[in-house]
Amino acid sequence: MVGETVAGYSNVLFMFGFAVLALAPALVISRMISPRTKSNPVKFLPMECGQVPSGAGRTHFMMQYYAYILMFVIFDVMAIFLYAWGSTLLDLPKEATLPILAFLGIMFAAMAFALYQTKRKNIW
Amino acid sequence: MSVIAPKFRLGYLVKGITDNIFWIIVLLTLIGIPAVQIVLIYIDFPVIDGEIWNPFRVFDAMTHPERALPLVKNFMQTDLFKVVAFPGFGFAALIAAAVIFVERKMLAKLQLRVGPFYCGKVEGILQLMADGLKLISKEIIIPAKADKPLFWAVPVLFAATAGAFVALIPVAPGWVVADIDLGLLAVFAVIGFFPIITILAGWASNSKFPFIGGIRALYQMVSFEIPLILSLLGIVMLTGTLNLSEIVESQVNFPWIIFMPIGAIVFFICILAELERIPFDLPEAESEIVAGWLTELSGMMYGLVQLGSYLKLYAFAALFVVLFLGGWNGPWVYPIEPMAEIITDGIVIMPDALVIKDIPGLPLFPQEMINGTIWFILKTAAVIFFILLPRGVFPRVRIDLLLKIGWYKLIVLAFINIFIALALVYGGIIGPGGIM
Repeated sequence: MVGETVAGYSNVLFMFGFAVLALAPALVISRMISPRTKSNPVKFLPMECGQVPSGAGRTHFMMQYYAYILMFVIFDVMAIFLYAWGSTLLDLPKEATLPILAFLGIMFAAMAFALYQTKRKNIW
Repeated sequence: MSVIAPKFRLGYLVKGITDNIFWIIVLLTLIGIPAVQIVLIYIDFPVIDGEIWNPFRVFDAMTHPERALPLVKNFMQTDLFKVVAFPGFGFAALIAAAVIFVERKMLAKLQLRVGPFYCGKVEGILQLMADGLKLISKEIIIPAKADKPLFWAVPVLFAATAGAFVALIPVAPGWVVADIDLGLLAVFAVIGFFPIITILAGWASNSKFPFIGGIRALYQMVSFEIPLILSLLGIVMLTGTLNLSEIVESQVNFPWIIFMPIGAIVFFICILAELERIPFDLPEAESEIVAGWLTELSGMMYGLVQLGSYLKLYAFAALFVVLFLGGWNGPWVYPIEPMAEIITDGIVIMPDALVIKDIPGLPLFPQEMINGTIWFILKTAAVIFFILLPRGVFPRVRIDLLLKIGWYKLIVLAFINIFIALALVYGGIIGPGGIM
């Protein structure tokens, strides 16, 4: 039983491994047959639209999605919890839906409040 | 006047020949003999009709099609064939190649251009092959101070993850690489890897544009993952299973798009965002940040990432077909019974020399599998057309609008879809007591 379940998943890994085996030679062959011209001072510089790059490549960028990341962490977990309920819905008694509706209401209100706050504080 | 090459010496020739013989012997010893041992000792031979097939019988069967047929049929049921050829990698790569060509041609027609035209005489049909040759013969340049192992691994990882996604898609009844009970959750798990690979590519290349592209990909994933997951909850509620094959079998009478059009629309928009296609192609926005996270990838690396992204496109379109359009279900367009003369007379392979008669079980594939595959490909082609179409029609959205679409509109619509599904179940329309 356990073995069968694991065997089903192992096919996904099998496919992954086959794709790696089939595609990695493309890079190797490309490396073997492509010309290797001599290096010059700007050849290996990172692309910066023709300018010589200034500063480090891995710098900090202001993206300001911290509030959204926090919400994502919460609501992604909520969405997966809902699958545990949804996949057994047809077997459950009807009363079991009421707590889930309350849960949905609480989460939805929380999300509306969070979105309202992000809009009010003008984070994007 | 031709002379022997001026540096020719007999000694060099003898040395070259003996060197080659030496290396052939070394390779045969190190690879060939262990391979033969593995085949003879460790591999289980197929059992067909109660008989064990050994390598001698396999070679014997290859001499005559009638004896080889059971072996071929047996091989087509193995995992290896499924992974390599039919529902797996080969099939998906073929569709991906076709999609690349159709996209370029269709986009050109939409914008009143000709598109690929010269390569291969007929409407530039060999353009893809020419591009592949070009990409594989170009030098791969790795930027200075890049994280080399990660940077080399990224294209292969991206395409292989797309391959793992393809493995979960059922194409015809029984024809799926990985038929697992939690198929839909496995799909979410595999989808979650793509933004990680994207941001790895951005970080590893030590360049600013790829890094911005990777961060944008993460941004996009954060705002579209939740509506993507919630929009499929309605189907899971109505079918009571997460297995993709069972979800297809539940749509024999009606595809779910009839009952849940809102969920289908939300899912389609999320597909566009996850595929980084035009209204939402912020991670590789070519007019803003050069090529986004693909900027530093050159030559065959870029080619592999493109192959991976089109494999992903096929997989998402197929997922839409499986979940909303009924997968392989459809009226019979293929003869229900195999043609009588194939069963009785066999087929003529070489007209003069060899007429094969009375081969048992000659139609290699069951008829319903061929019919199902035809319907599946037709529906997938239609969905792929609608995924390609926005590229010629829409501009790119701004990043704050993207966030607003994801968080304010799509999540609300996905919740509405959940309540529609609840109403269908408790209203007695679908499920126990209703239809289906």
